[in-house]
Amino acid sequence: MATRENNPDRIALLQGTLDLLILKSLVFGPVHGQGVARAIQRQSEDVFLVDHGSLYVALQRLEEKKWIRAKWGVSENNRKARFYQLTAKGREQLAEKTSEWRRLTSAVERILDVTHGPETEEA
Amino acid sequence: MFGRKRSAKDFAEEIKSHIEIEADALREEGLSADEAQRRARVKVGNARLEEERYYQRNHWMWLENLGRDLRLGIRSLLQSPGFALTAIVTLALGVGANTAVFSVMNAILLASLPVEHAEQLVYLRTSNAPQGTGTIDSSQTFSYSAYDALRRQNNVMDDVIAFVPLSPGKVAVRIGDIPEVAEGDMVSGTFFSGLGVRLARGKGFTAQDETDHAQVAVISYNYWTRRFARNPNVLGTTMYVNGVAFTIVGISADGFEGLEGGNSTDFWIPLQNKVELNAWGNPPENGKIYLNNPTWWCMRLIGRLKPGVSKEQAAAALQSTFKEGAYAGLGGPKQGEKPPTLSMERAKGFGENAQAQERPLHMLMGMVALVLLIALTNVAMLLLARNATRQREFSMKLALGAGRLNLLKQLLAESVLLVTAGGLLAWCFALVATRALAAWAHIEASLAPDDTVLIVTLSVLAVAAVLFGLAPLRMALSAGPTLALKTSAATSNTDAGKSKMGRAIVALQMALCVVLLVGAGLLIRTLRNLQDTPLGMKVEGLVVFNISPKITSLEQGRAFYRDVYSKMRELPGVESVTVMEERLGSWWSDNSDMTVDGKLPEVPDGGSRTVRSNVVGPGFLTTLGVPVLEGRDFNDSDTVNAPHVGIINEEFAKRFFHGANPIGHMIGTDHGEYQMRVVGVVKNHKYRSIDEEPIPMAWYEYAQIPMIGGMSVELRVKGKPLAILPSVRKAIRQLDPNLPLLDPTTQRAQFDTTISNQILFARLAGFFGLLAVVLVATGLYGTLSYRVNMRTAEIGVRMALGARRGQVVWMILRDSLVLAAVGIALGVPLAMMAGNALESSLYGVKAMDAMSYAIAVLGVIAVAVAASSLPAARAASVEPLQALRTE
Repeated sequence: MATRENNPDRIALLQGTLDLLILKSLVFGPVHGQGVARAIQRQSEDVFLVDHGSLYVALQRLEEKKWIRAKWGVSENNRKARFYQLTAKGREQLAEKTSEWRRLTSAVERILDVTHGPETEEA
Repeated sequence: MFGRKRSAKDFAEEIKSHIEIEADALREEGLSADEAQRRARVKVGNARLEEERYYQRNHWMWLENLGRDLRLGIRSLLQSPGFALTAIVTLALGVGANTAVFSVMNAILLASLPVEHAEQLVYLRTSNAPQGTGTIDSSQTFSYSAYDALRRQNNVMDDVIAFVPLSPGKVAVRIGDIPEVAEGDMVSGTFFSGLGVRLARGKGFTAQDETDHAQVAVISYNYWTRRFARNPNVLGTTMYVNGVAFTIVGISADGFEGLEGGNSTDFWIPLQNKVELNAWGNPPENGKIYLNNPTWWCMRLIGRLKPGVSKEQAAAALQSTFKEGAYAGLGGPKQGEKPPTLSMERAKGFGENAQAQERPLHMLMGMVALVLLIALTNVAMLLLARNATRQREFSMKLALGAGRLNLLKQLLAESVLLVTAGGLLAWCFALVATRALAAWAHIEASLAPDDTVLIVTLSVLAVAAVLFGLAPLRMALSAGPTLALKTSAATSNTDAGKSKMGRAIVALQMALCVVLLVGAGLLIRTLRNLQDTPLGMKVEGLVVFNISPKITSLEQGRAFYRDVYSKMRELPGVESVTVMEERLGSWWSDNSDMTVDGKLPEVPDGGSRTVRSNVVGPGFLTTLGVPVLEGRDFNDSDTVNAPHVGIINEEFAKRFFHGANPIGHMIGTDHGEYQMRVVGVVKNHKYRSIDEEPIPMAWYEYAQIPMIGGMSVELRVKGKPLAILPSVRKAIRQLDPNLPLLDPTTQRAQFDTTISNQILFARLAGFFGLLAVVLVATGLYGTLSYRVNMRTAEIGVRMALGARRGQVVWMILRDSLVLAAVGIALGVPLAMMAGNALESSLYGVKAMDAMSYAIAVLGVIAVAVAASSLPAARAASVEPLQALRTE
């Protein structure tokens, strides 16, 4: 991983969240790999570091799970690109994973909001 | 999921397109073209690696690796085709011989009958039959009344199953117009239900069928296939058995070939009460057939034990019932007679016939196991030698970063390839061999390898594969990565330890070879002795066939055979003619006690009173060429109205007349109801088989006794015996147009069938001995030529220092002679043990037969010399300068 930029403002993605973000970025229609990477980065206001290598592996994995499907097409500036699209199963998964994520984060938030516990500061 | 869905190329293309799009985007953000390109590349940099990891997580990875290892293995084996071929053929011979013999043993001794819950089935046995009875087998056959008593009990056995053939061979059958022959059994109503044999079509028999003697038949699947081409409309067809009509009502399940081990039964009918369907095709005795004749013990019985009852318990519980049934109609045991006891034996494989085969089969299994051991060690040694020459290759691989695991995998892959190829070839070999064996031994039941055999063979192969993979590993690893840097042939191959190992293996192989050669020698000499055994008659020029005419009365039967005599005597080329009830050399004989001068003769305690008798016609002794010691042969004037006459052999005279002249004395059947005057005494000669010991024999005249049926007709002819048959057939057809000649053959061939087992076993043993010799020779040759190769440099140095060529040759020869000596020293005691185990299978030769041992020892020495001559010659032709220059 010698090429990873060491930017303290960016945080690495939690295991499994990448799948969710990919699914989310495909909600509005087919997007190619680079587009997915950009979308995640942009919509997270550059907080997330998207490792392009892992992205493609994740896309591959989702495709094999039949959550997304892909076909070759042409990008806006006339480059050949592989476009990914949600399947019905993928949409189901997105809904499920989103609610799962919400429950998780709200639970974590509730824990973090307890101020009467021992004093702990986040680094 | 099947492997990769996308090709790596497609993936690479996507990455490429990503980089381009990303670079476009970065350029739009204001970076220079070069910088944009660089950044895009950097960002995606490890995608390939990720991809690779991803695929490695995929569980199909190992298959790809295996494929690669196998491809590499194939390439590497193809580089030395000689080695590969030798190893594969050696394996195939060793494993194939084992598979073949094991599947025969499995079919005959181990396999269960193809019935339900075979473990509950037992053969019923008796210690003996009551005095005054005739049997088919003194311990295995029962009278109808004994069966009837046993089947009425229901405490320890669920069913008693009885079966008895309609004829010792085949019986006349007609379906449609043309007469043919088939093998048929009469069986109890419990036969199919009690055995648990399913019916492929139709139904089996019931107890009612047995009581009614119903005229229905079940045919075997095999017969259905063979005779009816699996015509589904066969049910309802009428089939005539000895002229009696039966309706086919069922077809037994595929794979069930009856209980007459070795022979496959074609059809079954319920027990019958008609004279023409008497058991074993016998003519009625005083008007009685098997159903109402308590002195004829001819039926075989099988019982199905109730769950939880042991065979000992069952036999004990049935003892008194059995005794009652055994003496029903006989009026109880005679004074001092030991009544028969019932026992049971687990029903397995060929059952009734298995015991005779058990010993020779174990013996053969032992022989092929030794062959297998030799074959496996041979291949292991070949592998060692080959991989020793590949040490540099391994060393190079290690130096280039291959892991030990990779080397192991590659060696295993090569071994798996060899073993797979060898195993497949072995299986084909075994299939062919079992078929050939079955044909040779006249076994109709299937000897083909089944699942059990497959599992055993696969385990042997698996062990071999692992062994062959691991054996060379140590050597491969011991090379270490540094060896590749060395250049000297001499330094890279001087591991004394492994050559010691190789020598020990060769010595062991030679020892095994000695054992096999001694065994083969003993068996082949046994066969020679059997074939050279004098039969006591002039057997050349004799031809024999059976006829089974329709006989309506004694008068008509006698008239028929008188006509046969005159027709045959008229034929040009026929010197003399005779008829007999039991064909000589067919294993059949009538055995019973006989009275001498009105009473059963005194025999020293424990002695047997059994006499083998036959019913024969005029000219019997003349036709066979049996020397008459005293008196005369039967002739045409010995008719039913003339005084009853009989002939005995010298053993009868010796044992029951104690040296007195028997001519003129009266002898008779065991109850004394038929009496005849002895008119001739003949030299002992063979009756049932070649290897029988002399036993008292007596001959009745066929026209004088109150019983007449089918007979064997024997002709002494000029020229080739079988050439007479067409004219014989024509002459018989003039007597009865529907009468076929059954089993025509020469008397010599007929006698040879009684030693067909010995012939088979001796030839197989000879073959395995030869196989062992060839294997040992190739093994030794391989090892020696490898060693000579390795020592080329050393030999060069020796010669440069003044060693003569003769000395070099001797050096190599001495090496293998020492091995042979060690092998012989080890092998001879082993062979003596094996020979003792063989003792009972030998005929006319001692287990310590000096000749066999001498031949075996000389054989091994010859192998050692032959196998080392080529390598020795090669060593002698080493040019010292050449050898040294290659350093």
